[in-house]
Amino acid sequence: MLAAAACRSSRPATVVAYVSEDQVFSEPILKDFEKQTGIAVKAVFDTEEAKSTGVMNRLLAEKGNPQADVYWANEPVRAELLKQQGLSSPYRSPNAEGIPATFQDPDGHWTGFSARARVLIVNKGLAAKPDSILAYTDPRWKGKGVIANLLFGTTTAATAALFTTWGDERTKAFLEAMKKNGVKISTSNGESADLVASGEFGFALADSDDAVSRTRQGKPVEMVYPDQQEGGVGSFIVPNAVVLIKGGPNPESARRLIDYLLSKETERKLAFADCAQIPLHAGVETPPDLKRIENLKTMPVNYAEVARKMQEIQPFLKTWVGY
Amino acid sequence: MGRRATLTLAVLVLAAVGLLPLAGMLGRSLVVEGRLSLASYEGLLASGRQWTLVRHSFALAAWTTILATAAGLPLGILLGRTDLPLRHVFVLLFSIPLAAPPYVTAVSWLAILGRQGLLATSLGPAVAGWTATQFFGLPGCALVLVATFLPIPMLLAMVHSRTVNPRLEEAGRLVTGWTEVLRRITVPLILPGVLLAATLVFLLSLGEFGVPMYLRYDVFPVESFTQFSAFLNFGAATAAAAPLAVVTFVLLGLEWGLLRREIRHIQPRPEGEAPPQIALGKARRPVFCAVTALGVLLVVLPFAALFIQSASPGVYLEALTRAADSLLRSLTYAALGASLLVLLGGLLGYLIHTRALPFWRGADLMTLLLFAMPGSVLGIGLVSLWNRPGTSFIYATPVIILLGYLAQYTALTSRITVGALAQIPAAMEEAAQVAGAGWWRRMVWIVAPLARQGLMAAWLVAFIFCLRDLGISMLVYPPGRDTLPVRTFTLMANSPAHLIAALCVILIAATLVPLGLLGMIWKRSGGFRGSA
Repeated sequence: MLAAAACRSSRPATVVAYVSEDQVFSEPILKDFEKQTGIAVKAVFDTEEAKSTGVMNRLLAEKGNPQADVYWANEPVRAELLKQQGLSSPYRSPNAEGIPATFQDPDGHWTGFSARARVLIVNKGLAAKPDSILAYTDPRWKGKGVIANLLFGTTTAATAALFTTWGDERTKAFLEAMKKNGVKISTSNGESADLVASGEFGFALADSDDAVSRTRQGKPVEMVYPDQQEGGVGSFIVPNAVVLIKGGPNPESARRLIDYLLSKETERKLAFADCAQIPLHAGVETPPDLKRIENLKTMPVNYAEVARKMQEIQPFLKTWVGY
Repeated sequence: MGRRATLTLAVLVLAAVGLLPLAGMLGRSLVVEGRLSLASYEGLLASGRQWTLVRHSFALAAWTTILATAAGLPLGILLGRTDLPLRHVFVLLFSIPLAAPPYVTAVSWLAILGRQGLLATSLGPAVAGWTATQFFGLPGCALVLVATFLPIPMLLAMVHSRTVNPRLEEAGRLVTGWTEVLRRITVPLILPGVLLAATLVFLLSLGEFGVPMYLRYDVFPVESFTQFSAFLNFGAATAAAAPLAVVTFVLLGLEWGLLRREIRHIQPRPEGEAPPQIALGKARRPVFCAVTALGVLLVVLPFAALFIQSASPGVYLEALTRAADSLLRSLTYAALGASLLVLLGGLLGYLIHTRALPFWRGADLMTLLLFAMPGSVLGIGLVSLWNRPGTSFIYATPVIILLGYLAQYTALTSRITVGALAQIPAAMEEAAQVAGAGWWRRMVWIVAPLARQGLMAAWLVAFIFCLRDLGISMLVYPPGRDTLPVRTFTLMANSPAHLIAALCVILIAATLVPLGLLGMIWKRSGGFRGSA
């Protein structure tokens, strides 16, 4: 036993991370962690094209014999789902201090950091600029709006968030009115952004990173944070979320990686990267085209409730999309 | 170990590697909320959407098969039998799309036909809007898959047309010209090879996930994938793969019914007798122009767009920095996978060819069924089966990827072996047996050397398919040990287009360079002499 323990202690420290955040943005952060701590990161990456299926399905399929130590989710609903499935362990990182409680699981199963916001991407050529998601139902913009498939990704989460905020009746009526007003369904937020950039549509509700990347590419679009006015519902915030996997092989290294991801420095790096994510710690430096979280009116939601709602409304969404 | 024991073991290995994970997934799909239930299957064909999936899946597979076979058959004969100039260059050129994962071809076409593609910059947004609309749908999917799978009928027609007994063609030439001889003698004789190619293309198109997903065309593999990803519904995902299993049974039944008797009537070309070359005469130039035009349209144009997008040493340096380790792993896994596939597929091919055991049909069916299954279903099945504390030496290492390759691609090597063995007179093995040589001795010293070119072709095909695999590798690769297709795919989200283009070019080169080297060695050691 002693020999085995000695052998184990002489092995270089390792952490296994399953990552849903785009590899192009997450890999440099993990490399920096390796350099700073000497802990080797073995990662499994996912992709937006694959709708994050690989990593999430692997985590579920590996439930009986976990291989991962840390799950870096690109939105908290998946993290919440892992908690509901009993795959996560609670861990309160000292670096989580200062992150608003809304963006943390009350039991410590996941902690949010570096967020995207749901924003309107508006073509600069549009005569009247929408500033609310209600533009989708306004006859002034009939046939001008496009939105990603409600069955996938952040669009599903944002729709579920509306259900929890407005209630079922109002949200269903809103979605039906959207349809009547000629909304186009695209396959992804990226495609929505491209359709607006090419002028085929006037505006789209998508993620802030989609908008920032198009504006930085010089496309004729601008980013509008929706519903910031008095009485407005606010912008839905989609933070990354980090989860400690229950029974993972390297719990100590896992905690160190979680601490690193939740640090202000990581948030600063992700703000200045092309994904342009909004830091959740107050006072972290951001590029000029990004609003700070404290200056944003955000949609007041409970992410656990959003996760439950998301599963509940699936039959309705399938019918709405015509699936 | 004797013949019977070895072949039985080979069947059991494939059953353990491929069928067990599939059975596990089937079992999971039949249990809903802890009870035995057919609920996952009740939705199949019950809604309009399901019929749309049926229509889309079969339209894509049928169009791809018809067009690829219609172009590949004449192309194969032209490149294999005629005096067309630059035949070797054309063979290499048309094979490029098969060497790359199909989504790479889709990415390259997008660089031309997309809203921001080369066509948009040269002809304006109105034309580009129309081409992009067509590209994202059946025409685009069919275009990409025809370009990708065209080499299968082309190469099989090429090889089979060289195995036809020249005496039969010469007899025909006494009374008519080459066109009639090809139509009435050569093509009917190579029909089993052509239909095998068509079957493979149909199954590959039907099971293809990456291209329809990328081009947003709903088919069954995308549905299976969506059930995993959007709804995390393992049962429904497996149920969505059921139609693919049904089609495999039907195709195999047709093939057994129509072809097996025919194959035995083929008289192979006698050893050492070269097939006569067909002189194209006046048609040489127009045919050359037509083949060149097809090559430019299907291969040069899209892949040139990738080169143009990535034409900078700095971009390649960045791509290599990000993916050099994945590239080395891909080559290693593919070489190991291909070797294991030749061993397992070779034994199963021998079993199917000789019908040495009563369950040879079952073995054949098993290989094709696994070949037709979506990689996502097999992948999840492998995870569920092998991820246990006692089997970490498999699951936590690249062995799991090799098992995935064996599960999915054995049909390729077993079928190519069947074709190769059909060219060897049975008398050779029988003579050695009469002389007292044991089975293993006969296999190592008689059968394998005689079938060496077929086995080498099987290795090359297996190498290509392992190297370009995405479906299984994506789901089972051990942490930190991804392959190049996986890394390219995961980097596609929000990476600059020039980086992705460079990675695609590296992936294509990684396949073509080793294949080119092996091709040169092969040619020096005697080249094609008729093995399938």
